[in-house]
Amino acid sequence: MLSLRTLLRHPIQFALMTLGIALGVAVMVGIDLANASAERAFDLSASAVTGRATHAIVAGSGGVDETLYVRLRTDPQWRGQFESAPTVRAFVASPQLGEIPFTLLGIDPFAEAPFRSYLGGGQGFDFQSIAPLLTQSGAILLSAPTAERYNLTPCMDEFNDSCRLELSINGKTRSAYLIGLLEPSNDFARRALDTLVITDIATAQSLTDTAGELTQIDLILPEDYDTAALTAALPAGNLLVASATRNDQVNTMTAAFRVNLTALSLLALLVGLFLIYNTMTFSVVQRRAMFGALRSLGYTREQVFGMVLGEAALVGALGACIGLGLGILLGQGAVQMVTQTINDLFFVVSVRGVQIPASSLLKGGLAGLFASLLAAAPPAWEAASVPPRLALSRAGLESKAGVAVNLAAVLGILAALAGGLILAIPTRDLIVSFTGTFAVIIGLAALTPFVTVTLMRLLNDPLAALFGLMGRLAPRNVIRSQSRTAVAVAALMIAVSVTIGVQVMIASFRTTVTLWLDQTLQGDLYIAAQGLSAARLDTPLAPEAVAIARSHPLAQSSAVVRVVSVETEFGSVDLVAATPDPLLDARILLEGNPEHVVREMKEGAILLSEPLAARLGIDSLNETFPLLTPEGWVQFPVAGIYADYASTRGTIRMDIDVYRSLWKDDTLNGVSLTLLSSADVDSVTADLRGQLIGFERVQVNPSGALRDDAIKIFDRTFAITTAMQLVTTLVAFIGVLSSLLALQLEKAREMGILRALGLTLAEMRRLTFWETGLLGASAGLLALPTGYILAWILIFIINQRSFGWTLQMQMEPLPFAQAFVLAVSAALLAAVYPAWRLSRMQTAEALRGE
Amino acid sequence: MTIFLRFHDLTKSYYEGNVKRLVLQNAHAEFQPGEMTAILGKSGSGKSTLLNLISGIDAPDSGQIWVDGRNLASLPERERTLFRRARIGFIFQFFNLIPTLTVGENVSLPLELNRVPRPQAQKKAKDFLDSVGLADRWTTFPEKLSGGEQQRVALARALVHDPLLILADEPTGNLDEETGAQVMSLLAKLTREQDRTLLMVTHSAEAASYADRVLRLSHGQLVAER
Repeated sequence: MLSLRTLLRHPIQFALMTLGIALGVAVMVGIDLANASAERAFDLSASAVTGRATHAIVAGSGGVDETLYVRLRTDPQWRGQFESAPTVRAFVASPQLGEIPFTLLGIDPFAEAPFRSYLGGGQGFDFQSIAPLLTQSGAILLSAPTAERYNLTPCMDEFNDSCRLELSINGKTRSAYLIGLLEPSNDFARRALDTLVITDIATAQSLTDTAGELTQIDLILPEDYDTAALTAALPAGNLLVASATRNDQVNTMTAAFRVNLTALSLLALLVGLFLIYNTMTFSVVQRRAMFGALRSLGYTREQVFGMVLGEAALVGALGACIGLGLGILLGQGAVQMVTQTINDLFFVVSVRGVQIPASSLLKGGLAGLFASLLAAAPPAWEAASVPPRLALSRAGLESKAGVAVNLAAVLGILAALAGGLILAIPTRDLIVSFTGTFAVIIGLAALTPFVTVTLMRLLNDPLAALFGLMGRLAPRNVIRSQSRTAVAVAALMIAVSVTIGVQVMIASFRTTVTLWLDQTLQGDLYIAAQGLSAARLDTPLAPEAVAIARSHPLAQSSAVVRVVSVETEFGSVDLVAATPDPLLDARILLEGNPEHVVREMKEGAILLSEPLAARLGIDSLNETFPLLTPEGWVQFPVAGIYADYASTRGTIRMDIDVYRSLWKDDTLNGVSLTLLSSADVDSVTADLRGQLIGFERVQVNPSGALRDDAIKIFDRTFAITTAMQLVTTLVAFIGVLSSLLALQLEKAREMGILRALGLTLAEMRRLTFWETGLLGASAGLLALPTGYILAWILIFIINQRSFGWTLQMQMEPLPFAQAFVLAVSAALLAAVYPAWRLSRMQTAEALRGE
Repeated sequence: MTIFLRFHDLTKSYYEGNVKRLVLQNAHAEFQPGEMTAILGKSGSGKSTLLNLISGIDAPDSGQIWVDGRNLASLPERERTLFRRARIGFIFQFFNLIPTLTVGENVSLPLELNRVPRPQAQKKAKDFLDSVGLADRWTTFPEKLSGGEQQRVALARALVHDPLLILADEPTGNLDEETGAQVMSLLAKLTREQDRTLLMVTHSAEAASYADRVLRLSHGQLVAER
């Protein structure tokens, strides 16, 4: 009762405290929901297509020869030993399906029942209804809810335009006809079928131009089945893989990305935690006399402790509830950004709506509640320690705070050093890395009060000489209000240093990527087919289009590229087979001899991208790397490691001629042209676009446009980071506002005395702004080195360990200047309301009685 | 003889919730320079309100307050503040030293507000602290001082900038009898030595005994008691 009344008597403090925790929880929940939705979408689509398969036979992007399936079904050696089913898979998009990526799953209905039971409610297909699927080419099935969502109705007897869908597959548009609907028997089936287009295997092969090929053969092997014999019997170029491992490999690729977002969201909660601590401390200090009185009336320490914690629990619970609501809203926006980034950088996934798992909400709610209780525990203890009838004076508190300032500085240095040591541990574990980073940040934040006090002592005389009374009073007041402001200023320092750290990291990243693009995009024109992922070149280019482009009279030279997925011992990896670039720059080639690398590649060596080498722990060029070719496993010498910022999955580069000789594949995904010096890039672009107009989705772009697109993707990737960093700053701002309000409330009497002694209203306002400006300046000043350290950690440790990218640190004075201005402006802005309240203060009231 | 402080028809009321409470009603009084006057009255009779009106902290509902030839009631808030800063010294019942400033800084404060250069301000503050017997407590914080010592620091602060008028609100109200007597005798001595005008509200007959004249505030009116 007493707790509730206290909170209600200070509504602004109460509201700010609640808002701080709500924002912290909202960011955490929002990111968690976005991550969970993307992960769940992936899991669902993976489990939807994998079904109950325990293993699969794969063969890289070339596919598995369908005769192998026939062999498995008919050869007495294998027949009856295990279940098998062929599949053909591809990502498709269709204007009739909202242009979001769907998975085309080609199946053999007769072999399906044990694998994907949801397709037929566990009983196999109703053959009556799907007869056209087997007999008519182009027939497809969708789930009934999906069809309803897109207003699609199946054709009953014969195909017509009303059930026609234009599917975009591998750069080509193909017609398919909806001939039936699958009624999901349960919720899992409904979600699994949500983004699936089901068709017969022959139709799938026809739609994807892969006649005679299967994407994979799914198997259900008995638990103790000896896989060695099966593996040995597989033709060269085929591989038996465990389905679960394969899905995990894909999913873990995005783990680093998700951990990074989670860490950033926790930072907002951490700043919120500072805010709670600050406000609760103030609220306790404000009521020391009351606690003393309660103790003298017979309240035990435990009761007082419980009372303060009860207040924190109320604030935490309310803040968490509001935070959950805001978090769900935030999740709607964040999921788009997260999905976009995953599509850009990792793999195709479509997320339909935000999943709101109870675990995310519970996690966020509990985090908010416990953060509040944790932050309120020290002030609650302080309240419980008040001896009966004793009210410690402000000056007494400030002298206690003085001791705490020095102690915090020592502990801060120790924490920062411990963080440094943790970061020095050679591990790729991001939890360890972020623990080290947080220790460094919190350690430096603990130094903030000490830096503030030292800075104020240094500034005292110069400011007094320059600005007279205000210049003398303000630093002195700042020093003597540490017990109230230190934590808020530390929180502001953290927020501002994160701004610097993230901005420097993004700027460094951007500069590195721009330089890298300049080095890699050396051709004048690029011809490629547009696929589902903006960042990956995975759509085949028609050979005629390649021939037209390469034979352009103004082309001086051309280079070609083929991008395929190959199997390695560590899962599938993108292989980029290209005309070797004789101008491979040392900045691109991180390891290896640029003078020999082209020759070595012509002789069969490969290059590994930096993220791949980092992921697999390869740092020596003396190693060989095995790849599964149609001829079986081949060991390739590693000629070098190159920078690649286009993918975090990791890629392998190979000479196109070496690839063609091993894979017998002449398909290409891209052509780059270097034009004669006399040629005008724009007119050749226009000319080629005209000549290639008949080829669907083929794009001709000058290198500048491509560079712009790449940078656009880059900026999109960091949009969410910037948004979260802004929220953190907002929480810190609320912290400063809240502590200034608290301070102003407490200093009302002091201000009353000053007013009685002759301080004018304008001077009083000026004094408030001077004080907060100085607080902001100290936060800003300490944020400069802290931001630099954070940027360094993000660039050289977190990025390296998360994605395997080496970035060149880009130090521009602008982010530092902006951050300093941000700190001072945030503090000054936070002082506007307290200053306004001060000027409405009734001096006589403020002076009246203790 | 010249009138240094004069107010007439002074009326002031407050709202307590929806109820209007008349504290001063057409009050009249005149004070001569160098005069020490005590105003007696019960708690809540409006004594502190009267001091707040005279110092310009508060504005009257009606009436005029003339201090050294200027009608404070007609001045805007800022002018009243500047007038108070230069001409008035304040002593409060609860001492009202600024807790975060040292004793020296508290005493120097009125001089700093009046833009006295720091070296002179410090010298003068030290002289005044010396005159109240606390020269050795320059760097001490107020909380380390006893009530009597705090009130002596407050005396030094009230007088350090040579105000024409000293307003004391229950200066002994928070002190024991003996300490109160010491403070009063010091206040009387310094006021007389420097020829200042002192207006003191109190309900202590002992404190009032130091005054040249005693008035009583009752039912919103000032009446001569001695």
